[in-house]
Amino acid sequence: MKSAKLKRTFREGLDNFRRNGWLSFATVSVLAISLYVISVTIILGISANIVLKNIQDKINVSMYFDATIPEERILDIKNQLIGYQEIQSIEYVSKEQALEQFKKLGDNNPSITQALDEIGENPLLPALVIKAKNPNQYDIITKAISSASFSEDINRIDYQENKSAIDRLTNIMKLVEQVGLTLGVVFVFIGVLITFNAIRLTMYAHKQEFEIMRLVGASNTYIKMPFVFEGIFYGIVSAVVVMICLYATSMFLAPLTRGSIGGGDILSFYFSNFLIIFASLLLSGIFLGTLSGVIAIRRYLKI
Amino acid sequence: MSILKFENVTKIYPGNFMALEETNIVIESGEFLSIVGHSGSGKSTLLKLIYAEEQVTAGHVYFNERPVDAIKQKHLPYYRRNIGTVFQDFKLLPQKTAFENVAYALEVSDETPEEIAELVPEILEIVGMSDKANKYPRQLSGGEQQKICLARALVRKPLVIIADEPTGNLDPVATWEIIQLLMKINSMGTTIILATHNKDIVDKLNRRVIALDKGKVIRDHQKGRYAI
Repeated sequence: MKSAKLKRTFREGLDNFRRNGWLSFATVSVLAISLYVISVTIILGISANIVLKNIQDKINVSMYFDATIPEERILDIKNQLIGYQEIQSIEYVSKEQALEQFKKLGDNNPSITQALDEIGENPLLPALVIKAKNPNQYDIITKAISSASFSEDINRIDYQENKSAIDRLTNIMKLVEQVGLTLGVVFVFIGVLITFNAIRLTMYAHKQEFEIMRLVGASNTYIKMPFVFEGIFYGIVSAVVVMICLYATSMFLAPLTRGSIGGGDILSFYFSNFLIIFASLLLSGIFLGTLSGVIAIRRYLKI
Repeated sequence: MSILKFENVTKIYPGNFMALEETNIVIESGEFLSIVGHSGSGKSTLLKLIYAEEQVTAGHVYFNERPVDAIKQKHLPYYRRNIGTVFQDFKLLPQKTAFENVAYALEVSDETPEEIAELVPEILEIVGMSDKANKYPRQLSGGEQQKICLARALVRKPLVIIADEPTGNLDPVATWEIIQLLMKINSMGTTIILATHNKDIVDKLNRRVIALDKGKVIRDHQKGRYAI
């Protein structure tokens, strides 16, 4: 197609978009709502995952040793445990380090420091802090440790105390993943369907014009091109509208999510992913807009 | 030389409705032909076959000695540019001004902006609509809209203008303005084919009249009057 024709059909599309004010408004609204629902679902899914990953990172199991066990023995056990494939990391916390941490926790609580002073000696036990690769592997790990050769040196493992919390988190993660995925698929499907129908109605409103255009000798491509451009405009405007709505939503949700998503809140997530979100919205908006338009227009162009 | 020729043309619509049966008509270049007949007699079908909105079931329609049914689908837009069409319901694009409606017919056939800027005002002058160039169709009367349609049909200097009941929605004054414009266009050499119900028009024109009834030509008079 020649550039003059491209320019003309582009202007036609722009004129259509401007002069059919209400129709454009309605179409953009439907497209924007669909894209908004889809992107909120996806963003919520992603941030829920990040939140859960963060919590998961904080879970661990500590095995405490008797105060009489020498440090070399504990480090030796640590080296043995590194071979377990379920274990992601092991950290040795000596009696002194444990006391240090405990004091830090009690900074604002004078009764704790006072109690420690009264005891006079360090009452805490050295420990190995274990993180599993997957929260549902703690069970296996603790069982393996209990039956290991060094089990006699162990004072206690706090797994049983944490067990219910760990189990609950594992279940929540599974549920969020399933619900998020299902909702995502459903919303994407509904969004595509609604947009497609809205644009079909728009094309129907233009039906008589297609006939007129053919009668004055316009080729099918010439008739189609303005609607392709119109679809592109729908996509662009909708993407911008959705970006604004998402910004407002993030502002609203920011206080609730402070500190939970990668250290920031949902607003910082929005800004750090601004370009990729905008680009995907733009692409899917344009894709939906033009594809539905071209499919809808086909039935009116048969001679 | 004949500009249009119907040779044993039969048109049957889906549902076995016979719209035209074994029709033979020869139209010479420069003629002003009126086609009369009751509703459903086949007038509109005859016209649609000319601008290839419908395809013949049997027989052939020749335009300038060339069979219309042999034109490939993708070449139809180019073929249609030889024919101007005017309808009872105007068929103007509602979102375009009078000027833009006329210009559209030129834009689709790759005319340059300079040519468009020159030709459109010229044609609007001929139909007497220069002062309404920037009005939208809804701001114009029926007669004025039909003049814009005529301008649009005329602007590409077609060989044939097909007018399907162009005065059906117009008052007597506007009707005569349109008919006089058609006569003026015809006098400049363009072939006119007019389908109408209006007895006065046909009688006053005193030109060739073809009467159709139930898909058949029942009368074809060179200086005819309205009779069915």
